[in-house]
Amino acid sequence: MFLATLTWVIVTSGTLALLYILRCACTRAPKFNLNDLVHFLYPVDVSLLDSLLDPAADFSLRWSLNPRAFRREQRRRMRLYRELLRRMSHNSIILAEFGNALFGEDERPPLASELEGAVIKVRLYTGFARLRLRLWLLLPLDSLGIVPTPQLARLRKAADLDGPKAYDELKIAAAAAFAQLQPTELEALTRNL
Amino acid sequence: MSILLQYIPLGLLAALLWVLLRRRAYREFPCFFLYVAFAVAAGLARFVVHGNQHTLYATFWVTDAGYALLGALALYEVLRKVLRGLTGIWWAHLIFPAILAAGAALSLWHSHEVPSQVEDRLLLVIVTGEIAVRFAQVLVFAGMVAFVPLFGLRWRQQPLGIAMGFGLYSTVALLITLKLSDFGTGFKFLWGVASLVAYSLAVLIWIWFFSFPQKEEPAPNPEQVAFALDTLNRYLEWLRRMR
Repeated sequence: MFLATLTWVIVTSGTLALLYILRCACTRAPKFNLNDLVHFLYPVDVSLLDSLLDPAADFSLRWSLNPRAFRREQRRRMRLYRELLRRMSHNSIILAEFGNALFGEDERPPLASELEGAVIKVRLYTGFARLRLRLWLLLPLDSLGIVPTPQLARLRKAADLDGPKAYDELKIAAAAAFAQLQPTELEALTRNL
Repeated sequence: MSILLQYIPLGLLAALLWVLLRRRAYREFPCFFLYVAFAVAAGLARFVVHGNQHTLYATFWVTDAGYALLGALALYEVLRKVLRGLTGIWWAHLIFPAILAAGAALSLWHSHEVPSQVEDRLLLVIVTGEIAVRFAQVLVFAGMVAFVPLFGLRWRQQPLGIAMGFGLYSTVALLITLKLSDFGTGFKFLWGVASLVAYSLAVLIWIWFFSFPQKEEPAPNPEQVAFALDTLNRYLEWLRRMR
């Protein structure tokens, strides 16, 4: 019974994948104006990102606050970090879409591959980190005393990827890939990412 | 089924081989090129020995094993191309073996649940291996399609096209081999027609994906990127001072 269900799931996923590709082939990709790129991005505060992932911040909060207040403060910081992750994830997919629109389908320059690779890394990191954060926020095991309150610094790495480093690589790849933007737009791009 | 219809995929495969040669795809996809060249040779060999039942039987099973082996290799090549950005991550190397192991486990489980009619041990290994590769091909295709919306990947790229061809054929083959065998005597005819149509469609997909040029340059080295960023930063600083 279980094998039959599993086989059906796999066969159905193959069929759905075919239908999805068929849909992609039939629908025309939206035309992006490169000058609009900046308006689609959500700014990511790098200093806030660094402070949230700083192990010293975790340590000092744990020492200066009582356990209850520390838990409350950590949950606030987790929600902040979750928002930053959401923005990073959103920005990476926007860059991928604009990159695809800019470089087309056929002869793609090396910068396009670089951007594609950086996007995959950021999406993977943010996906895994958000999953862990969601579990931490959903199951407050620390309040029951089962596990200690999690440290946000542990989220610097997820899926064997360094988050801030992966995002920096994305910024570099984006700046290089969209170098043909107007100087002011390019500056806004690096500022907003 | 007429003999002419049976060899439609061979004609299409020959056309695909010509397209691959013209596009010099053997540089980018050597394993897939090898698979197609083997498929053409295997089709020709089957055609040549068609009159002799005993030789055809042996040729059929030997070439079937070759299809499964080279199909798995082509799949590895496709995954390596798509995941090339994840070279520094240890678990990225485990994706293909994990998929292949899952396919093998499912195939073995299936052969345990529904014992095959094949009595020869070697043929049983070939059939089990073929089903394992088909499971792996569907899993890779579904996974790669999931990558398109998740990672903003382009759908019209050759690795995805290769995976799509294999995925289409394997989905149909799995459906028929594993689920529709209850059709009894009508099954043989259904299998013949459905697999022929699915494989022909798969080859047409490959021809379409390789019929447009797609040159993927090697990624720039870190020094080049750092130099580009340094230039960009200096340029931005200069702009700020201008204000």
